Amino acid sequence: MRPARPLLESPHFLSLLLLGAVAWSLTGVAWGEPLLHTGGGDSALDMLLALFPPDLSPAFLLVCLQAAWHTLSIALASITLAVLIGFPLGVMASGALVSPDSRLRAPLMLSSRFVLGTVRSIHELVWAVLLVAAIGLSPLAAIVALGLPYAGILGRIYAEFLEDTPEEPLTALRSAGASSWQTLVFGRLPMCTPDLVSYTFYRFECSIRSAAILSFVGIRGIGYEIQLSLGDLLFSQVWTLLLALLAIVALVDFWSGRVRQSLLES
Amino acid sequence: MIETREPTGYRQRQRRKLTFARLSFYTFLALIAVAWAYIFVEGDSGFTLLLEGRTWDNAGKFLTRLAGAGQDERPAFLQPEQWWATGRLAYNTLAMSVLAIGIAGFGAFLTFIFAARNISSGSLGGTPSRLGAAVYYFLRILYAFTRAVPELVWAMLIVFFLSPGILPGALALGVHNLGIMGRLAAEVVEDMDPAPARAMRASGAGIFQIFLYAILPQTLPHFITYLLYRWEVVIRTTVVVGFVSAGGLGLEMRLNLSFFHYDQVTLLILWYLLLVTGVDFLSAWMRKMARFE
Amino acid sequence: MPNGYHSTPGLKDATAPLAVVDNVTKTFPRVTALDHVALTIGAGERVALVGPSGSGKTTLLNLLSGMAQPDSGVVAVGGRDLSHNLPRRELSSLVGIIHQQLDLVPQLPVVHNVLAGRFGHWGVLRSFLSMLWPQDYHLAVAALQQMGIADKIQERTGHLSGGEQQRVAIARTMVQSPLLVLADEPVSSVDPARAQEILQLLLALTEDTGRALVASMHTPYLVSQFFSRAIGLKDGQVHFDIPAPELTQAIQSDLYGLGQEESIPHQD
Ligand SMILES: Nc1ncnc2c1ncn2[C@@H]1O[C@H](COP(=O)(O)OP(=O)(O)O)[C@@H](O)[C@H]1O
Ligand SMILES: [Mg+2]
Repeated sequence: MRPARPLLESPHFLSLLLLGAVAWSLTGVAWGEPLLHTGGGDSALDMLLALFPPDLSPAFLLVCLQAAWHTLSIALASITLAVLIGFPLGVMASGALVSPDSRLRAPLMLSSRFVLGTVRSIHELVWAVLLVAAIGLSPLAAIVALGLPYAGILGRIYAEFLEDTPEEPLTALRSAGASSWQTLVFGRLPMCTPDLVSYTFYRFECSIRSAAILSFVGIRGIGYEIQLSLGDLLFSQVWTLLLALLAIVALVDFWSGRVRQSLLES
Repeated sequence: MIETREPTGYRQRQRRKLTFARLSFYTFLALIAVAWAYIFVEGDSGFTLLLEGRTWDNAGKFLTRLAGAGQDERPAFLQPEQWWATGRLAYNTLAMSVLAIGIAGFGAFLTFIFAARNISSGSLGGTPSRLGAAVYYFLRILYAFTRAVPELVWAMLIVFFLSPGILPGALALGVHNLGIMGRLAAEVVEDMDPAPARAMRASGAGIFQIFLYAILPQTLPHFITYLLYRWEVVIRTTVVVGFVSAGGLGLEMRLNLSFFHYDQVTLLILWYLLLVTGVDFLSAWMRKMARFE
Repeated sequence: MPNGYHSTPGLKDATAPLAVVDNVTKTFPRVTALDHVALTIGAGERVALVGPSGSGKTTLLNLLSGMAQPDSGVVAVGGRDLSHNLPRRELSSLVGIIHQQLDLVPQLPVVHNVLAGRFGHWGVLRSFLSMLWPQDYHLAVAALQQMGIADKIQERTGHLSGGEQQRVAIARTMVQSPLLVLADEPVSSVDPARAQEILQLLLALTEDTGRALVASMHTPYLVSQFFSRAIGLKDGQVHFDIPAPELTQAIQSDLYGLGQEESIPHQD
């Protein structure tokens, strides 16, 4: 009596598929061996208890502040690079600059999309490892390592925003004799400025977290200090640093929320 | 009277808002300028290296060795046995990413409903209680903390007590994504159309039935879609977490870099790109299914 | 007795009115939506609420359904005061409401939206089982058959047309089988032919002795055709309470000062 729906369309099928995948992944865990290190439980407990209280001595807070600024400056520099690379590529990928019937359009859009896609698919830390191996350890390596994948992400999203602008005002501009450039500068860009700005801000927030973990290849900053404190088993310092990271990210999150709100309301 | 007052008030508010956005923009530009100045002044920024021929020589050498040129034997990425040997690592990496998504998904799925304000306030069903409010704040803080700490830092902490393998890496990724997923899912519940849930309550449904038949059907497609999006991010990050958690492609990549086995590194990066592309493809396919259209 | 419809649970006192609204006032921050309203509705009555938009019809229906509580006064159905926290099972057998927006879950198959009318009778386990294997399936089939859309039982509710979704909502109430059926503007957004069908289906819900229907309406000729009593609301007060056949004439001669244009069929 119950007409069966096609198996692939059933919501239960997808849920089962996902559950099956997770069950499969569990087989990859070495269940035979102890999951904890010897004494691992104790270190976990030590780590947890060190939160009460975190290390709030003035000397260490100064270290924290310096590390936070290091991380922040790398994030700021790399987001600049990302915008400088991502924006032109994003404009090209959106096809806004070439007329719809130009023969250049498809190759231009596809090639810029390909570049954006490639730099994006490699994680910033993999970029960092490769760049450090190629040009040595320096802030430059970190900035480029962060800037490339972020340019890929920003470029793709910029292109999407530019494509999604409503067509009517643009047609009006074009019929008034505006060139592709003029349509871009006086039509598309002003219309999606709030989206562009708030998305860039959101990515800046992400880049702070990313900059923090570049410590792994030896770049100074919050992650670097976390590694040092962990090495010395100074867990209460680790907590201070984690809380500092949390505070910066929350602050930027709050700021970007306010900017987004004011841009949308105006 | 009111009609003449309101528009001007509105315009004033608008001007203030605009200045806030503008002010933020200039502050941001100033911050960027200070940051660049600091990077150049503070020590060796690395930019001077760009002017030295030696740097470019090294970079060139690095690239040719990645390409496998200048070595006696055939580069690793042209040997099928090597592909086979490292395939095991790729397999583990994939398992790690799926396990991570499983941990994040289960954790978020079990908690997100209590982290939605319209549930804890009882406006959809159930009764408001002190406990509900306390759980709400606890979960929101937990989500904020787990997602503010990057995956790699979680991994550094977790390897302190968990034995190496795919579990510590998966746990690190899972915990970070739990915060992201939990918040997203709770917000979906908060933005949900409350009318069907209220109507169900009126026709005699209890809180569990409302959850199962009104909240879940409306939120599950979003939940699964986000989860699949996160999987795409997680597979990229799995390699990175592998650097410290001793599992999958990441550790091997790091070892080969320090032993200067650059052709092996290329092979691992190729596997990595294959995994990333494959997962992107799978995720897009499943997301299409998740729309249940 | 229509298919899939349960027999009427007997009232404790057959002579008592089915629903009592006693001196009820309901205010919202800016307006008094209901101002000292008093009504009784007997079993077997088919009551149309008429009145301009904003006169308090929806508010009154919500109070009768137990979804909202009055600021003062009492609303009782089947002898039970709705302000007391009635067990959900009992409340669901007393009143059922069909809102203008229908309030169906668009992502679910039709069968689950219809069976939502049974939730008052199910425990946790049964509700969970039903997700995988619909419980009381025959009730859903019978109700949908009567609505003429039995073939849509497995379809996604959001994919149905507006008229079909309205039938799903009526089927849900049929499965719920309450004594008092409330409908908020059931025909204000359908064409006249469809309106007749919908009203017929709603009447079928309350055909058994001991039940009653209250619906807010905008179309005088439909009121005189299908209802037994018309209650006019204006500014939150009962403005008139007359046998339905008199409504058309009352409006034509503007006996109650409702103003012609406001009672003429309109859609909002
Ligand atoms: N949730 C609410 N909050 C504030 N005011 C409301 C609310 N619901 C109804 N009202 C007001 O109560 C009055 C009666 O509304 P309603 O019962 O919806 O009238 P009707 O259904 O007859 O159009 C209106 O003035 C309306 O604005
Ligand atoms: Mg109304």
